[in-house]
Amino acid sequence: MDWLYIFEVSLAGLGAGALYALTGVAFVLIYKATRVVNLAIGEILMLGGYVFFGLVAGAGLSVWAAIPLTILAGAGLGAVVERALIRPMLGESPISVFMVTIGLGSILAGLVELGWGADPLRLPEFIPNTPIFLGEAYVAPKVAYGALVAALLIAGALAALRFSRGGVALRATARDQGAAYSMGIDVGRVFSLSWMAACATAAGAGVIVGAIGGISPTMGIFGLSVLVVVIVGGLDSVAGALVGGLLIGLVEALAGSFLGGEYKLLATFSLLILILMIRPYGIFGTHEIERL
Amino acid sequence: MAGLALGAVEARAQAQDEIVLGGSIPLTGVFAFAGVGIHAGIQDYLKLVNDEGGIKGRKIRYVAEDTGYKVDASVAAFNKITSQNKVTLYYGDSTGFAKTINPELERKGTMIMAGASFASELNDPKKFPLQFLPGPDYTEMFGILMRYIAKEKPGASVAFVYSDTEFGRDPIAPSEKLATELGLKVAEKIVTPPGSVDVSTEVLKLRRARPDYTIFHGYVLAPIPEFIQQAKQMGMQSRFMGTFWSMDNSMVQQMGEAADGFMGVMPYRYYYDKEGTSPMLDKIRQMRPEYQSTAYMQGFLTAMLMTEAVKRTLDAGKELTGTNMKASLNTIKDFDTGGIVGVPVSIPGNSLPVGRIYRFDAKQKQMLPASDWIQLGK
Repeated sequence: MDWLYIFEVSLAGLGAGALYALTGVAFVLIYKATRVVNLAIGEILMLGGYVFFGLVAGAGLSVWAAIPLTILAGAGLGAVVERALIRPMLGESPISVFMVTIGLGSILAGLVELGWGADPLRLPEFIPNTPIFLGEAYVAPKVAYGALVAALLIAGALAALRFSRGGVALRATARDQGAAYSMGIDVGRVFSLSWMAACATAAGAGVIVGAIGGISPTMGIFGLSVLVVVIVGGLDSVAGALVGGLLIGLVEALAGSFLGGEYKLLATFSLLILILMIRPYGIFGTHEIERL
Repeated sequence: MAGLALGAVEARAQAQDEIVLGGSIPLTGVFAFAGVGIHAGIQDYLKLVNDEGGIKGRKIRYVAEDTGYKVDASVAAFNKITSQNKVTLYYGDSTGFAKTINPELERKGTMIMAGASFASELNDPKKFPLQFLPGPDYTEMFGILMRYIAKEKPGASVAFVYSDTEFGRDPIAPSEKLATELGLKVAEKIVTPPGSVDVSTEVLKLRRARPDYTIFHGYVLAPIPEFIQQAKQMGMQSRFMGTFWSMDNSMVQQMGEAADGFMGVMPYRYYYDKEGTSPMLDKIRQMRPEYQSTAYMQGFLTAMLMTEAVKRTLDAGKELTGTNMKASLNTIKDFDTGGIVGVPVSIPGNSLPVGRIYRFDAKQKQMLPASDWIQLGK
């Protein structure tokens, strides 16, 4: 047994898992508050990558100015989408809303292709590139810094949900919309807020994912692997997204290195089926979740 | 009135006379970066032919539909184009489409087809009698790369890194066999799931294998740059190589630091290549002053080979059937492509088994020749 190798592989898996977890949080925020499964999250992530690219390579802004602007743009997009597309669908069947988000994904991919073309692009290098060694174990610097940022953002999201007024309102709305409404919580604003927070998170994740793997109009597929993560973790649990993300990242890495790359997805989806059989609502999900 | 009627008859006569090149072209979707270039390349070559009066006075008309790189859309485009026009030549966008449409192509028997796929499977004149590949198939590309490796460093160890797709898996099994024949050692085969972003675990695996050469296949850009960057950080000395679709100059430029020293096989010359005389490249540079991709060259050469097949069939006084045109295509021997390929080419079967190794020069920001032209079977 080569323990160093296993250790390195596990670290790489956890690093990738952190990115899954971050994008998973974006899924969860929206689902928790509004009961909408937002399949466009992968495309919003992609758009984040492109907006960042546009601001840095196109408008010539510095990276550190572009990151907050990208996140703001994500929030803005979330607000617009919620108000223009999702709010009017209130009360329609979940399948219809689900379909709206799929359509939104296609539209965003198409718009990006119109604006930036279909060629895959690389983001400018901004993550420090000195190799990191934990003892003797090598960790890819981009993955390590990406995971660090993801961890900070997730911690921020958890803290905001627990302590901020908006977070409390969101949790109250998630628990019982009617009661929240009668207690004077502006449920519409909570919906809007959750979309803004989720899309901002996704846009930020897009910058990190893009910095590692480059950007292309098809990178929204990333959102699909994240769907597995949140189903495993539980669609309405931020902690679930965190655990699910790390778990899937780790399983993928171990399966990839010891069984071969072709087993990565096999391992992931076997785990998904297993979890669904034991806990149909995900590891941390609540039972009333509506299945689509 | 009579004049009008006459005009209509004339127009119809002309329409009957013209030759149609149909195309299922991926102008959107995952393969659009190539489709756009291919589209332009075909158009430009046909413009050159038509400006000089066409083939024996017959103009060639290009009818293309966007497919989004989806097989069903490709087939729909094929049906639409072939039902509305008398199509003689066809450009298909994917391996899937080439295989799906093959029985229909044989049933119709009226056209020959080439496309964006270099799948080894298509390089079989018995199974695909009316199709051809305007370059080496993927296995032949590996063959060219490994012949180069065997010459540079006999007994070297190589690793194959490929995507878990039909495209990625295509050349792997036969290339392993060839490696043994050439005295090379396949140290590791690493397969990555399609669309994977993070490749750190795969790089760790590659480091354990310590190959002298690493060949990537089944990718366009990602995850190659991240792969190379991490490998270099770990102090790996391996040389990194790619196949046709990851070899476009603008694509390699995007790899940033990882691009330095990146090598690969290319059957065509690059847009900026001014070595020797190349009348066709001169014309291309005249028509389009800005850089054109290798996909453009692919479309351009495909149109050239197709029209050559038509010309040879008409010269022989034969009817333009699929079988006749394919037979004419196979008579192409030591054919001068005007500099698109650096050596005279022949199409003995379904492919054009020729290519050259290029290496990226970070100073000039260009892929530059690293070997002579390598012709398989010679």
